[in-house]
Amino acid sequence: MVFVLFGVSLIVFYLARGFPRQGFDPVAPYINPKMTSEQIAEVRRIHGFDQPLYIQYVFWLQDVLRGDWGRTGIWAQGRSVLGVFSLSFPYTVQLSVAATILTVTIGLPLGIISAVKNNKLPDHVSRIIALTGYSTPSYWFGFMLQLVFFYYFSVWGLPNLPNNLAVSPGIGTVPRVTGMPVLDGLLAGNLLYAWDAFCHLILPAFTLAFISLGFLARIVRASMLEVMRQDYITLARSKGLRERVVIYRHALKNALIPAVTLTGLFFAGLLGGALITEFVFALPGVGQLSLQAVFQGDSNFILLYTLVLAAIIVVANLVVDVAYVFLDPRIKY
Amino acid sequence: MKRISARVRTGEWAARWADLKYTLFLLRKNVLVMSGLIISLFFIFLALTADIIVNPILATPQGYPNDSYPFERRWMWSAYSIINWGPGIALYHGPEFLPIGTDGWGRDLLQMIVLAIPVDLQNAVIIVTGAAVFGTLLGALAGYVGGVLDEAVLRITDIFLAFPSLVLALVFAALFGRSVETLRLAIILVWWPPYVRLMRGQILGEKEKSYVEALRALGAGHLRILFRHIIPNSIYPILVQATLDFGGVVLTFSALMFLGFSPTPSLPELGNLAADGYQHIFEAPWLIIFPGITMLLIALAFNLVGDGLRDVLDPRLRR
Repeated sequence: MVFVLFGVSLIVFYLARGFPRQGFDPVAPYINPKMTSEQIAEVRRIHGFDQPLYIQYVFWLQDVLRGDWGRTGIWAQGRSVLGVFSLSFPYTVQLSVAATILTVTIGLPLGIISAVKNNKLPDHVSRIIALTGYSTPSYWFGFMLQLVFFYYFSVWGLPNLPNNLAVSPGIGTVPRVTGMPVLDGLLAGNLLYAWDAFCHLILPAFTLAFISLGFLARIVRASMLEVMRQDYITLARSKGLRERVVIYRHALKNALIPAVTLTGLFFAGLLGGALITEFVFALPGVGQLSLQAVFQGDSNFILLYTLVLAAIIVVANLVVDVAYVFLDPRIKY
Repeated sequence: MKRISARVRTGEWAARWADLKYTLFLLRKNVLVMSGLIISLFFIFLALTADIIVNPILATPQGYPNDSYPFERRWMWSAYSIINWGPGIALYHGPEFLPIGTDGWGRDLLQMIVLAIPVDLQNAVIIVTGAAVFGTLLGALAGYVGGVLDEAVLRITDIFLAFPSLVLALVFAALFGRSVETLRLAIILVWWPPYVRLMRGQILGEKEKSYVEALRALGAGHLRILFRHIIPNSIYPILVQATLDFGGVVLTFSALMFLGFSPTPSLPELGNLAADGYQHIFEAPWLIIFPGITMLLIALAFNLVGDGLRDVLDPRLRR
C-alpha cells in the first residue's frame, strides 16, 4: 500500500516537475510580481527548485512527511496547499456520498428485478437503463438536466432546481463545522440553509450517480443469477416456500455480498469522477480546483490531489477485502 | 511432411470457423445485440464515407462566434415558439435548409457531426488497440514467465490502477501540449492496466493445461507456445473487454476535448463541438444536445455489442 502511494507520487512528481514549460514553473506560487529576478533566483535556491529532480523529490518527501505540502497559486498567491484542499475537499465528499446513496437506492432494485425476471421485458428495460447509464457522456447529461430542470422549468413556470453553486448566494452563512453545506445547515439548526444546499445537490448527485448505477445493477444481476443456480435455492423452493421468501430471504443475502463491498470502490471512483460534474455545475469542490491546477501547472496541488485520491482507492480496496471476510463466513484467511 | 502440416492447419481453421458461426448464430437471436451492431455499423459507414457525404461549403466557417451569438429560428422550428425551443441558424448564413441549426461559426451542425464521427472513431480505435495490445503482451509475458517479472509487472499495474485516471490523463495532456497524439497517449496510459490483469489471469489458467505440456514434449519453443497457442486460446475475454472499452474511450476522449484540450477550437470532434455550446446552453441548447446524443448513440451501440458478446462468449453459459 505504501509502495503504491510511493509509486504514484514518484510518477506524478516526475510528470509535474520534470517538464517545466511556460507557466509550469514550481517556483510560481512562491513569488510575487514585484520581485526582481535576483530575488526570484534566491527563492528558487531556498526551496531547492534549482536542484536535480531526484533531490527535489527527496526535499518534497521530507516536507510532506513533516506535514508541509507546499504552497499553491490557486485562489491567492502563496496559500498553503493543505489549507485550500481541506476547505474544498468536504464538498466533494458530500457530493460523492449523495451520489453513492443514489447509486445504491436505484441500482440495487434494478439489478434484482433484472435477475428475477431474467430475459423477460423488465430485464431488457433495466439492461437498457444500465447500458445507457455508462454510455452517457456525464458532462452532457449534467447540462441536459440543467436545461430541463432549471431552464425549461422556469420558462414553463414550474418550481425549478438550481443549476450551479453549492448554496444560493442570498441565503446567508452558517458556521463551518464539517464543510459540507447540508450537514452544516442541519448542525446550525438553519433548516432553510440545509434545504437550499440539498436542492443544489440533487442534480449534480444524480449526474454523478447515473454512470455508476448501471454498473451496480449489472453486478447485482450477475451475482443474483449465480446464486439462483445454487442447490440451496432449489431446496428452498422444493420446501414449498413462496417465491418472494426464496428471493428476498435466501438468495438476496448471499447475492448482496459483492454489491455491498463494491459500494466502497464506487465511492472512491465517484470522488475522482466528481471532477467533470463539479466543472459542469460550477461547484466549489476539489475536482474543479484540480482542473484549474492542471491548467496552471500547479504541481503541489496536483500531487496532493492525486495522492489523496490514490490513498482512498487503495484503502477502499483494502476495506473491500476485509469486509468480504466479515460478510461471507465461507472465506477465511 | 508438408502435406500433414497443411492438413492440420485447415483442420484448425475449420474448427475456428465453425466456432465463429455458432457465435454469430447465438448473437443473431439477441435483439439488443443486433440493434447495437446495426447502429455501430451505421456509424462506421458514416465514418468511412464522411468526406463524400459532407458538403464542404456548409462546413466552412461563415463568421466568428461572439458573445451575443446572433441566432434566428427558421423553417419548421419557428412553429414551436410556445415551448421556446428549436435549433437556430446563425444570422450570417444563407437560405439553405439546415435541420439541426448551425454552430456559432455558422457551420451546419449536422455536417460538423458527420465530420466529427470519423475523428472520434479513428482515435478510439487507435487508443483501444494500443492499450489492448500493450496490456495483453505485458500480461501474457508476466503470466507465462512468472517469478520476478510477474511481481514487477503486477506492482506497476497496481500503481496505475490506483491513479485517479482522469487526472493522470489531464496532467499528461497538459504537460505535453495540446495535440491529438498527446491525448491518445494520455488515454492509452490510463487504459492498459485492466488488460494486464485480465490476460495474466487467463494465461495462468491456460498454461497449466495438458496441451501445453504436450506441445512442450513435441519440442515447441516458448515463443511458439505463447503466441501461436496460448494467446489465441485466451483472447476472447480481451476482445469483449476491448469492445466494452470502445464506448468508454470515445467518451473519455471527447471529455478531455470538452475540458479544453482541443488543439484548435474549430476542430470537428464531438466533445469539442459540445464545448463550443456549453457557455450558451440556455440560448443555444442544440449546440450541445446533438453532439451529445451522437456520442451517447456511439457508446451505447458498442456497449450493447460488447455486453452481448460477453454473454455469448462466456464458456460457463455457452452450451
